[in-house]
Amino acid sequence: MLRKENKVIEDVSAKFKIAGNVQRERRVWVTIDKDNLVALCSFLKGLGFEHLSAISVTDWPQEGTFELTYHLWSYSEKILLTVKTKLDRANPCVDSVISVWRENAQIHERELHELFGVKFEGNGDLTPLFLEGWDGPPPFRKDFNWREYARQQHYDKSNERERAYYD
Amino acid sequence: MVEQATKMKRLINAIWIFNWFNSCGFTELVPVVGSRWDMERFGMVITGTPRHADVLFIAGYQTLKSIRRAQVIYEQMPDPKAVIAMGACTMSGGMYWDSYNTVKRLEDYIPVTIYIPGCPPRPEAVFEACMKIFHHVGAVPPHGKKFAKAHSG
Amino acid sequence: MNEKELITIEHIEPIMPEDTDYNFYFGPAHSGSGNFGVKLRLEGEMVKSARADPGYLHRGFEKLMEYRVPMQNAVLSDRICVFEALNWNLVHAEAVDELTGVEVPQRARYIRVLMAELSRLQSHLIWYGVMSLGLGFDTGFKVAFGYRDYILDLFELITGGRVYPAGYICPGGVRRDLPDGSENKIRRVLDQIEEMTHKMQDFDNIAFSKRMKGVGILKTEDAIRLGATGPVLRACGVKTDVRKDDPYEIYNELDFDIPVREEGDAYARYLIMGSEMEESIKIIKQVLERIPKGKVREPAKITPPSRVKLPEGEVYVRNEIARGEGCAYMRSVGGKEPYRVKIRGPDFLHMIPVLEHLLKGVQIADIPAIYWSLNICPADMDR
Repeated sequence: MLRKENKVIEDVSAKFKIAGNVQRERRVWVTIDKDNLVALCSFLKGLGFEHLSAISVTDWPQEGTFELTYHLWSYSEKILLTVKTKLDRANPCVDSVISVWRENAQIHERELHELFGVKFEGNGDLTPLFLEGWDGPPPFRKDFNWREYARQQHYDKSNERERAYYD
Repeated sequence: MVEQATKMKRLINAIWIFNWFNSCGFTELVPVVGSRWDMERFGMVITGTPRHADVLFIAGYQTLKSIRRAQVIYEQMPDPKAVIAMGACTMSGGMYWDSYNTVKRLEDYIPVTIYIPGCPPRPEAVFEACMKIFHHVGAVPPHGKKFAKAHSG
Repeated sequence: MNEKELITIEHIEPIMPEDTDYNFYFGPAHSGSGNFGVKLRLEGEMVKSARADPGYLHRGFEKLMEYRVPMQNAVLSDRICVFEALNWNLVHAEAVDELTGVEVPQRARYIRVLMAELSRLQSHLIWYGVMSLGLGFDTGFKVAFGYRDYILDLFELITGGRVYPAGYICPGGVRRDLPDGSENKIRRVLDQIEEMTHKMQDFDNIAFSKRMKGVGILKTEDAIRLGATGPVLRACGVKTDVRKDDPYEIYNELDFDIPVREEGDAYARYLIMGSEMEESIKIIKQVLERIPKGKVREPAKITPPSRVKLPEGEVYVRNEIARGEGCAYMRSVGGKEPYRVKIRGPDFLHMIPVLEHLLKGVQIADIPAIYWSLNICPADMDR
């Protein structure tokens, strides 16, 4: 049981001196600092993790960091490996993994740039994807309160029907 | 429902709908076109251009990006026209009431003729709304009394 | 002629015969597209480049879920993609179940698989219907949507809603048990859907197949690089399915095949759709034979949602929804609401990188065949 997963952790920690943990079968989680991120990603692609399932950003305003998670799937080994890394929230800048996963990574990074404001160095096309003419703060950050924003922008205090949203 | 439809035929012959099926209402508007709730027997036809259309279906929530396109389409439709707003999202914001990107009150952007409640409304509700539109188009003359006289009886 | 009124005519550049480049917006109001626009740069009738224009349906699901407790999110999760509401319900419910560590009863697992496969069947019928509509084959469209209504009646019987099941597959199991007599009704509907698959083979006339053979060919290495999953990837020769590779619920106990084809064109995707429908019918029949008795929800006594706290942790759940690989990443810090939910839909990759790649160098007349054969759902892309 869990032989394949433990082997992947051994291979990764032999090369990069990081710890990882096996959550259950087919789920492995690994943390690395942002400077070695692209090197780790190329190494993992060589190990067989050729499918980038998703890239996600979690906002930790109290700690002042953004946490990036890269979810990778290997068709040959049938393991899902997640790489986690932390960025500074005031200046969120990280190298892009386009060199490893090409267009798949490019579109995920473009979405995250628009929604969180994270800058990906090396990604040439970070133009807005979903929003047109949006000049507010990056919408998915934790300090942008949607309920307050919707109440101010869209609802009308003097309207009888909408009184409920202001109670 | 069929004998009501034949009575309405004296007021108008058919309503033509512009094919702006968007958002969640798409899944309940397509069966209205399909074979079980066939709408062609009532004279309702889908067109591809707003210039031929009488009725615009706003089938669900609209975002700020898509409401701009819907406004342009509405302006291109010739009189007499009607807008049918489907779903709870057009009335009050619906399930996305706290989203930053959806439109909460459709009547701020486009004049709405009839609202259909539901999430999404059943095809029978869509037909009932269309029956009321038949009343509306026959009863309200856009260009004065002459239009109503020529088209009634 | 009055000398004071000399009218000058502006010099307008004549259009030279060799100017044939122009921009064409295959946009949301076009009868051939969905709620989604593609900006095309055309030279005559050939596409030189394409750029996708998403965002017409962006509601911001991921952050909406942060404001709601898991039972409210179960109702919201049907609306991630309207064509396969129950499959997304299942993705969300599995994520919360894995976080809380609850043991879902066996009967609930079987019912979840039953509803997910029924939802896959009706989603493939929509795919067939809009694909025929895009290619001008109106009979296929009307017949497919007619047969789909049998499945929607089943949904209404079991869950209460034709299109949106109001979070029927919720964290902890399913909301209520199957009503009496539903097994016979499901078997009758399956017979009718089998009839539909036979009709689909009959409808496979020359006009339909000639428009799709050799059109929109996606090679294997391009498919993996561009992030294609699901039927689009299986049409390129990669034998992979999340139900077999990364099994969830009770799929590892069931016996079914994965249809794979080598050509990678639109016709191969269409054939895979037909085969997948037959496999789903096989799965549902096995589920109906093996379904055990028992309770359908854990905990059986429902606690008020405001008192349930999600334990701390993070999970990544992968499911095979009708269009490909649908995933959810959920992170919780011990509060009532999840801290972060990331939803990965297959159409995010199919509609932007894959479509832009496939539309290069094709004729305008082939665009509907390629566009609809990818089985797109704009709601899943924009979330």
